[in-house]
Amino acid sequence: MSIVGKNIPHDSAKGHVTGESIYIDDIPVMKNELHVDYVGSPYAHGKLKSIDLSAAQAIPGVVALYTHKDLHHNRLGPIIQDEPLLVEDEAMFVGQPIVVIAAETRAALAKAKKAVKIEMEELVPTLTINEARERKEFLDREYAVRRGQVETQFAAAKHTLEGTLVVGGADHFYLESQACLAVPGELDQLVLHSSTQAPSEVQHTAAHMLGLMQSQVVCITKRMGGGFGGKESQATHAGVMAALVAHKTKRPARVIYIKDDDMKYTGKRHPFQNDYKVAFDDNGVITALRINYFADGGAYNDLSIAVLGRAITHSDNAYFIENAELVGRICRTNLPPNTAFRGFGGPQGVITIENIMEEIATYLHKDSFDVRRANVYGLDDRNTTPYGQLVQNNNLPKLFDELLVTSDWKKRQQEVREFNSKSKTHVKGLSITGIKFGISFTNTMLNQANALVNVYVDGTVQVSTGATEMGQGVNTNIKMLVADELGIDPDWVIVMPTSTEKNNNTSATAASSATDLNGSAAVNACVKIRSNLADIASRYFASREAGIGAYPDGIKFENGLVFDERRPDNKMSFKDIVGMAYRARLSLGERGHYATRGIEFDWTAGKGSPFLYFTMGCAVTEVTIDRFTGDLKVDGVDVLMDVGKPINTGITRGQLTGAFIQGLGWMTNEELKYTDKGHLLNYSPTTYKIPNIQDMPARFNVNWIDSYNTPNVRGTKAVGEPPLVLAISAFTAVKNALSYVSGNEIPCISTPCTNEAILARLCYYESLNSGSAPAVNGRGGSRDAAVVTGGNGDSDAPAVTGGDGEKAAANVTGNGGDTNAAAIVKGLDGNQGTAAEQKGAVRVDYFNAAGMPVPAVKHGALRPLSESVARAYSGAKLRTGGPTAAGAGGKKS
Amino acid sequence: MRDYIFLYINGREHKVSGEQAFVPVTDYLRYELGLCGTKVVCAEGDCGACTVMIGRLENGTMVYKPINSCIQYLCQLDCSHLVTVEGLKQNGKLNPVQEAMVECHGAQCGYCTPGFVVAMCSMFDEGKPLTACQIKDGLTGNLCRCTGYEPIVAAGLAVDFAEWEPISKLYPAENMLKQFKEYLQKPLHIKSEGKELFVPVTVNEACKFKSEHPQTVLITGGTDIAVNMNKRGLVPEVLLSTSNLPGLSAIDSREENGRTVLEVGGRVTLKQLEDYISKLNEEMKYILWVFGSPQIRHAGTLAGNIANASPIADTPPFLFMMDAEIEVSGVNGSRKIKMTDFYTGYKKLALQPDEMITKIHMPLPLKDEIVRLYKVSRRQHLDISAFTAAIRLKVDQGKIKTAAVAYGGVAAVILRMTAVEEFLIGKEFSLETCREAGKLARSEISPLSDVRGSRDFRLALAENIFSKFYHETAERQLVCQ
Repeated sequence: MSIVGKNIPHDSAKGHVTGESIYIDDIPVMKNELHVDYVGSPYAHGKLKSIDLSAAQAIPGVVALYTHKDLHHNRLGPIIQDEPLLVEDEAMFVGQPIVVIAAETRAALAKAKKAVKIEMEELVPTLTINEARERKEFLDREYAVRRGQVETQFAAAKHTLEGTLVVGGADHFYLESQACLAVPGELDQLVLHSSTQAPSEVQHTAAHMLGLMQSQVVCITKRMGGGFGGKESQATHAGVMAALVAHKTKRPARVIYIKDDDMKYTGKRHPFQNDYKVAFDDNGVITALRINYFADGGAYNDLSIAVLGRAITHSDNAYFIENAELVGRICRTNLPPNTAFRGFGGPQGVITIENIMEEIATYLHKDSFDVRRANVYGLDDRNTTPYGQLVQNNNLPKLFDELLVTSDWKKRQQEVREFNSKSKTHVKGLSITGIKFGISFTNTMLNQANALVNVYVDGTVQVSTGATEMGQGVNTNIKMLVADELGIDPDWVIVMPTSTEKNNNTSATAASSATDLNGSAAVNACVKIRSNLADIASRYFASREAGIGAYPDGIKFENGLVFDERRPDNKMSFKDIVGMAYRARLSLGERGHYATRGIEFDWTAGKGSPFLYFTMGCAVTEVTIDRFTGDLKVDGVDVLMDVGKPINTGITRGQLTGAFIQGLGWMTNEELKYTDKGHLLNYSPTTYKIPNIQDMPARFNVNWIDSYNTPNVRGTKAVGEPPLVLAISAFTAVKNALSYVSGNEIPCISTPCTNEAILARLCYYESLNSGSAPAVNGRGGSRDAAVVTGGNGDSDAPAVTGGDGEKAAANVTGNGGDTNAAAIVKGLDGNQGTAAEQKGAVRVDYFNAAGMPVPAVKHGALRPLSESVARAYSGAKLRTGGPTAAGAGGKKS
Repeated sequence: MRDYIFLYINGREHKVSGEQAFVPVTDYLRYELGLCGTKVVCAEGDCGACTVMIGRLENGTMVYKPINSCIQYLCQLDCSHLVTVEGLKQNGKLNPVQEAMVECHGAQCGYCTPGFVVAMCSMFDEGKPLTACQIKDGLTGNLCRCTGYEPIVAAGLAVDFAEWEPISKLYPAENMLKQFKEYLQKPLHIKSEGKELFVPVTVNEACKFKSEHPQTVLITGGTDIAVNMNKRGLVPEVLLSTSNLPGLSAIDSREENGRTVLEVGGRVTLKQLEDYISKLNEEMKYILWVFGSPQIRHAGTLAGNIANASPIADTPPFLFMMDAEIEVSGVNGSRKIKMTDFYTGYKKLALQPDEMITKIHMPLPLKDEIVRLYKVSRRQHLDISAFTAAIRLKVDQGKIKTAAVAYGGVAAVILRMTAVEEFLIGKEFSLETCREAGKLARSEISPLSDVRGSRDFRLALAENIFSKFYHETAERQLVCQ
């Protein structure tokens, strides 16, 4: 009986539920171990003048302080090595490390952090995509995919729409922050225990920066407490800092970022700002599409090039675009370098076309399902992507048609319409979006893996691959594949910690492809072992009486037994065959290598077939909005996917539900708010709100179709990232809901769709309908704040506490209440506001195009909204055109 | 006087003295005892990865509750029994909750899992199945970034109770009870490296100590103070823990002028209040349901929510609207302060240095009063409000007779909107009146922008909430609840 396709528990589950699973901070403290942390730049952009370490050095327990001068080489980066680990002269983002500190106790470390004196000159930071565009601050070159005649089609089109979509970033919010324990060995060797998706990256970066040979450094990853892309390239920083201290002091050294620092100083999902123009016919079939992507790359390249590339190659999503011009640039801003995050640019590409689909439907007064269905890739024609890859094994039409029925789309759409015509308090929206997610690294070189399979004489097996376990279940999948290959119980197979000692030159666990690549490599190793075993087994089963000779190809491995298929009643246990092979001095440990064949992509041409296959799906989402508060509730979600043949149905389902809800957070509540100095304001779960258990949709149907046609190991499909993209259906459902109240306008909204953002739109549309001023203050509205004598916030407003001599918490009795306490002791965090703020006056720094003032808060003003956010708020800038589009812009036909 | 904290952890006795009395519980568990199953992520009670069960003596038995150990300090734990994820196995085997979490794929990366498991074991302690809604309510305080929660709810529904053993059976209480009863008779005092902890056993002792040490930081649930200690550099020199004070943990009620008035003791937790009030007032029940999380509500107190003096605290708008009174005790006895007079400025209280809140007198709405409470936050659960409102009207034959309106999140303190109240009285209860009231409310306030919401958002809410109130009460447009 094959174990593949079954639902067995995650291989770490028992350790997880008992608290026995070990993460970096759980490894017992070693003798002599040092705690390591760093002091970073206080400015988003600043010139380093001087560093004074004398006071810090004098603190008892402080062992070492290092600057860039202590590194052999001070540049890192997964694609282009342009990022200094430690600032040399110019700091490019808040918190960019400058001084690494090692101390014997946490207390000494904390004191030393405060005692390091850094003198810097503050320079003007670039904090928005628009500022970067104005200042021509770009990373790398322009990337493009082009097909057909876009301008000609625009000129000839019956309808065109253009606009800008602003897509917010997001924090990974993996629960275990970046962490590394470095243990020095003999002869300058190092062992790094890192919470990373890319042990080889940490290994070679540490070796390079310390001037060691790669062979001197081993990186081990047992597991991560979540990764989601955030530990693909950015685990290197903690890794190298720990390695530096261990290498220099010859003492074990551990770096554990606290959550606040991790959120403040590490890269996030790329915010995008996408200008688009689309031409379409009366049925909503797109005839031409132009998208100009602008990704906020942060201060350094990191993985931005690849992220932008995936956005561009996912511009089409599930839809055939005959004429396309898809161009993108990476804006350099003074924020931590943005990095991989589940979906890797794909979601930012997909949301653009799904936003367009929704707008076409609203513009044409058509059912948004019909518009999308009319554009879906065909089976025999209309089936090549703009970059020229043939969409094979296309299940998209089947998925859309099936979900139309199972989600009860038509009936629910009618119900939504009726509800909206009656309700005075709420407005509902319903939408469907699709996904066609390309599987394989777009950088062809990375599509390889190796695995080591060791069989022990008791018949048990250890497997080691380059895949890293971050909860997604790759180890369980590999364990099942290996068990199946050897015909043994999966309990006999243990997947070992990932180590560069056993698996060299590994690709990051990323692109949803860890099981595809490493599972295939493990299978290849098993094939070799099986061949050795079959060789000896065939000789054993050869029988003169039965008249059969040794026939290795006829040896079967099933249920822990080995037999010749021609005489299945004569069986021997796997263990006994292994013992026999050992005694015969045959190899019982083999390495397998796997490389994906037939995939290539050329960015100079913008053409190729970069993906081995596509994971496909679609989702219907229904939302309800409170008209008075903007509160958004996701009532129902129906997901239907083609994930091939799952290796483990439970793990596959967990990836589907988990990814979708993570995407929902990105679309709804997760908003990164910065000051105008580039400091992140919401750097902990108190203010950064990922989905809570209560945010689960009341109706949450997650299913997949039977699909047997994938050219991948055991016909499985990668599933880590694609379902996240389907949460875009919540965004388009909000647009659909707003279309019921937006009068003649096509509704616009940026992501995330927070209650605040939604309410601003509702107020705006109400003002259009009533002809009165919007409830949201316009320019010159009543923002005179002279009468206010205090703040209204909690801890984020110590600036408003005034100059009284309030004693530290002395008059606080009891202490229950909500967890986010105000700073009872004033000014502890050194963030006293200006005098004006203390009096409670609002300093208005910026008005957006809709006349909304963006006033001052704690650290200064909020980062000005970019121009296109303002455009989205104004709602009036969607231009329609074409020969027959009459009247003023932005109107529904 | 005793100079050590006495507690049990997973059934084993611990005596903690000196500097360690002042460390967070999670540091003690993880770095001192090596019990690393309890994880720290946010260190501010917002993720639940550090959830442990705390057992205390209540009415002669040990009662266990889930709390966030990252915002508990050892000084709060005298005479308690802490049960961590490591202490949950039954006879060396996974317990039924753990089994269900394994089978249902309730764990992916595993970092949040111990917190979920402890919270689940706590809510299933009675050995009875719960509905999906009840399971969600019990897990509001636990964040998971991997699963999308569905497998966790499924695990909750799949628990097999045939072999369930409650905590009380895993850890026989006999010895603990005997020892705790004895220790709870006398105060505890620890001095170490310039820090001082006092754990009194009478209110008089507490007030006397406070009068002698004006810099005293009083700690009960610690859900606010501990966050300040973890994150905002608060280093109290003198701490007074109320954990061993008897007589402040009860809720009583009396009738006054035909109105029920609750008398809520100074140590009554928000969870106790929630359980008590759920049959009396739907609105307050709702507010307490969305207040923090079970872990926060089990630790935090009503008195603490008041004393923390946040203008966006969730319980005070109700107290402002109902003209509640705060009873405080000091060395010279007790007095009552009107809720509306209790805050004298941003984070300033009308309390003398020796005084502490011992009781809250909380009148409840009459049957013929229309009352709604509103909390607008980015996320419905476990989030701090951007805006709060409490509106109470008495309408007779279409005319508004009395009106009480309180807003939070629009100024340095919670406001009674007196101009709006005056406007409303005598008017017809109509949408038009409510719209006008909303506009007036908007013109009366001038909120600031912060990370939870812009000034304009708050202004729009201040105006809109009255129309919402009208539709929800007069027209019963409760289409979506």
